Amino acid sequence: MTTVLEATGLHKRFGTLVAVEEVSLHLAPGEVLAFLGPNGAGKTTTIKMLAGLLWPDRGQVQLMGKDPHRDPWALRHLGAVLEGNRNVYWRMTAQENLVYFGVARGLRFAEASRRARKILEQLELAEKSHTEVRHLSRGMQQKLSLGVALMHHPELLLLDEPTLGLDVESALRVEEMVRTLAREGKAILLTTHQLEVAQRLASRLAIIQRGKIVLEGRTTEVLGRFAGEHYLIELETPLPPERLAALRALGLEGEGPEYVYHGDGEGLWRLLEALKPWPLKKVARAEADLLEVFLKVVGHA
Amino acid sequence: MLDLFWVEFKRSWLILRRYPSEFVGTVVSLSILFLLLFLGARFLAGPSAEFGERTEALLAGFLLWTLTLFSYSSLSFGLSEEAQTGTLEQVFLTPYGPIPLLLVRNLAGLGTQLLLMGTIALVLLLTTGARLSFTPLLLLPIMTVLLGGYGLGFAMASLALLFKRVQQLLGISQFLLIFLLQYPLEGSGWLTKLGYFVPLVPGADLTRQMMAKGAHLDWNLLGLALLNGLAYLALGIFLFSRAVQAAKRRGLLFGY
Repeated sequence: MTTVLEATGLHKRFGTLVAVEEVSLHLAPGEVLAFLGPNGAGKTTTIKMLAGLLWPDRGQVQLMGKDPHRDPWALRHLGAVLEGNRNVYWRMTAQENLVYFGVARGLRFAEASRRARKILEQLELAEKSHTEVRHLSRGMQQKLSLGVALMHHPELLLLDEPTLGLDVESALRVEEMVRTLAREGKAILLTTHQLEVAQRLASRLAIIQRGKIVLEGRTTEVLGRFAGEHYLIELETPLPPERLAALRALGLEGEGPEYVYHGDGEGLWRLLEALKPWPLKKVARAEADLLEVFLKVVGHA
Repeated sequence: MLDLFWVEFKRSWLILRRYPSEFVGTVVSLSILFLLLFLGARFLAGPSAEFGERTEALLAGFLLWTLTLFSYSSLSFGLSEEAQTGTLEQVFLTPYGPIPLLLVRNLAGLGTQLLLMGTIALVLLLTTGARLSFTPLLLLPIMTVLLGGYGLGFAMASLALLFKRVQQLLGISQFLLIFLLQYPLEGSGWLTKLGYFVPLVPGADLTRQMMAKGAHLDWNLLGLALLNGLAYLALGIFLFSRAVQAAKRRGLLFGY
């Protein structure tokens, strides 16, 4: 699989503060990487370096094989929604913003106009095409920022807190868009403090702490690793007390009808054997959630 | 690039059309400023004083000042505003690079600037009764002044990029422009010779002569004015490119 983004050994220092140290990231088409970390950990500094807006002291960035710090046309492959920024001109309408930024990213005017209409429909903003941005709601502005980032068909999207400050419905809509874009083959780097959003969207995750990547891997693997040997067992009806007392010795916990088993796979089979023929509803390996992983990793680091 | 020029041109006209009060406000305030200066000078000189040709020279210099003022300050104001509102980074994400984009932006904004200057000229000609000569050839020396103005604008925009808040400096330096635009090139002393190397001076002198005295275009002086304008534009762009590098190194493109 080709790599859309390849960043190796990024290092950035501001005075005596080492903001980013030896950070390497890579993204393939269709991947969503959740880039997580507490405030001041180095997320935004890294994103700015990936976007060619901040020069690294050391290290390299390649967008589709081109270095955005040396070849500005590498930016043709990049779309970005940057955190805390409006990203769009408030005195222009939604349509005018899309066309302007589309052309500024290298599209021809006619193509940008066609694409703007299509994107406005996709974003369900067609009715607001001719409304000045300052009259749009925060959610609409955020969707428009995403639209601006998508205008020139970039292979890589950098989304810095794309759902920050959105109401539930708008946030879910942006989430769905991210999922669709990934299915269409876009590589997406997502930073967010909303860990449940990251868990739902990301195929891989990287956690940065004090400028260093402290954890990286596929989301399912990382969650599995942190879950340990826990299984959820749900029965159709709760066990009677005498039966439950006997099974407690095999590691069953809880009051039912949902129980937890702490132990390895062999012990689980022994427990299931002992449960027979009590009707089972569900047996599943317990998963840690990303919040748990994040707190463990960041706290440990 | 043509498409980029077109969207920048549309952007400047849209804002002009959508916010006409800003245009009217600028015309009114600059016209009042000139009238106050003009009437104030007449009051001080007494009722018997005759301004004669000097009114025309003063007005030509003032109009040139308004045009140069926009070419000089629009980039810095624009960058400060974009840094404040949070669109600056999106501008820097263009594959054309920030300097070509800002050059195109300057060029595209010329139409609205000329319209503004034309309107102020009309208001002042009607109110002062002065007569100015406008020939199509006049555009040539004006262009050389604009080139220099954009050069100084890029130099000032370098400071805006690095220090963000340059409004005070912009305000004060606007008066320096008056000095540059009124710098006399008559005579043969060393100050006159120096004038050919000072930004805006040759083009401004030629423009004043043509507008106020109805003089013919001096092609030799125009050549010197063009060289002067191009040199300061190149210097401004050089300084700005260094400022962009410094801003990218020190992380100054974001935040205000």
